[in-house]
Amino acid sequence: MEIYLPVAEMSVYWLVMIGLGLGVGFLSGMFGVGGGFLMTPLLVFSGIPSTVAVATTLSHVTASSVSGALAQWRKNAVDFTMAGVMLGGGVVGTVLGVWLFAHLRRQGQMDLIVSLTYVIMLGSIGTIMLRESLTTLTAYRSGQAPSSRPVNHVWIHRLPWKMRFRQSRLYISVIPPVVLGFFVGALGAIMGIGGGFIIVPAMIYLLRMPTNVVMGTSLVQIVALTAITTVLQATSNYSVDIVLALLLVIGGVVGAQMGVRAGAKLRGEQLRLLLAIVVLTVCLGLLWGLIAHPGDVYSLTLGVA
Amino acid sequence: MKRLVLTAALMMGLTGAARGEDLVSGISQDIIEITSNYTGTDIVVFGAIERPRAAQGRAIAVVVRGPSTLLTVRRRDRVAGVWVNRDSAKFDGMPSYYYLASTEPVDRLAPPRVLTRHGIGAEYLQPAAVGSHHDARPFREAALRYLKQDGLYKEAPGTIDFLSETLFRTRIPVPGEVARGQYNVEVYLLRDGEVVSAQSTPLFIDQTGIERRLFNLAHNAPLAYGLICVFMAMLLGWISSVLFRRPA
Repeated sequence: MEIYLPVAEMSVYWLVMIGLGLGVGFLSGMFGVGGGFLMTPLLVFSGIPSTVAVATTLSHVTASSVSGALAQWRKNAVDFTMAGVMLGGGVVGTVLGVWLFAHLRRQGQMDLIVSLTYVIMLGSIGTIMLRESLTTLTAYRSGQAPSSRPVNHVWIHRLPWKMRFRQSRLYISVIPPVVLGFFVGALGAIMGIGGGFIIVPAMIYLLRMPTNVVMGTSLVQIVALTAITTVLQATSNYSVDIVLALLLVIGGVVGAQMGVRAGAKLRGEQLRLLLAIVVLTVCLGLLWGLIAHPGDVYSLTLGVA
Repeated sequence: MKRLVLTAALMMGLTGAARGEDLVSGISQDIIEITSNYTGTDIVVFGAIERPRAAQGRAIAVVVRGPSTLLTVRRRDRVAGVWVNRDSAKFDGMPSYYYLASTEPVDRLAPPRVLTRHGIGAEYLQPAAVGSHHDARPFREAALRYLKQDGLYKEAPGTIDFLSETLFRTRIPVPGEVARGQYNVEVYLLRDGEVVSAQSTPLFIDQTGIERRLFNLAHNAPLAYGLICVFMAMLLGWISSVLFRRPA
């Protein structure tokens, strides 16, 4: 059965779209990430224009992050101060990102920038996670306790404008979280991601937040940021398709709940290893698309893009 | 420009009528409404030749043109191992959809001069403006190749059925992914490589019902539309977390 998407102006098989939402939702529930980094390329691959894919994926991320954020909130595992500070940078980044998005689209460099950013981000984060999870797993296997967290980065403590984050038991400068928020906000607007796969490692390794509040805080910040970005994309690029969003969200929220259950059966290191493999696979696929000879060196865009 | 050509063609048809052979034509529907289960449809174009002369040397061409659009063609080059869009060419005023049904292959309908003037045959379509810093020909060829591949430009020689000596019809597919707006269905009667009569009928393709309302909302009240999307996503996320609350 096909359904017509009023903004994308094309028809799709609605079961396929719900299935996409379900599959990506499952992974996002399992790994605690939004799944935008998988959803956007998959939508583009199924023929959805990349502008609509980027803008509509955000709703899917909002929906699958809401239930996670609520669960973490109930466990009192959210640092709202930290989320708020990051969001401050995030809003500025999003506005810039949405503007950059429209500009790059006119220049015809949109796809290149999106792919390059994906390859760099996914490549570095995938490699870090792979190494870290393998070290921990081998440490467990050889009977040793996993090594304690390495010492803090000294330069982060030299920065001015320090602030107390009670929930995270941190007293650090607001600059790193604001910059991180800004960066993720800009990427989110360009790539159609919530940025969980960047925020979570950055919170653990860069800001040194305690692991128990990392998930909840990143989810709250993702919900807020994707909500804002959706509204910005809708008002400046008219590229959010509500029918497509509904299909992805329905699949996504069910898949996310199933994923959470499946994830509870695995250990943290095993989860990170699996996620690292998924991330690196997507990265290699995109890298191949950049360096392999395109079957046709010409490409065509219809209408005023 | 196109309108001028059409008027000229119509006038030729009228003067032709005084002398003899003429054409009347119609389409099965003049509005196509896009609803939620729209996946494309067919229209039937039919016509009759009045005061017919010998079938020898006579040809019929039916052209459907979509609303005109801007085509941007980009060429990728390898820069530091990565394929990057470098040169581009823009063709303005090209139809977003083009379909030609004819009794003969395009090249046997008329000489290139006539085909170019009336825009019969995808290869003979002239853009209103070309924006390019270099030879635009390879870019134009690439554009036509893509449009044909996507089913947006199509030529179907030999698809006009004659029901009698003078009565003919042809079935024209309108795919699911076409631009909305005004289309023109043009029927040409050619004799010995010249257009002797032509008739043009508008065809409207538009969204209707809830699709229409959603599209309008997205463009006229984008803030409300964006907020509705966010609200919907959050509501469904919350509902699912309540439904699945019972811990496994």
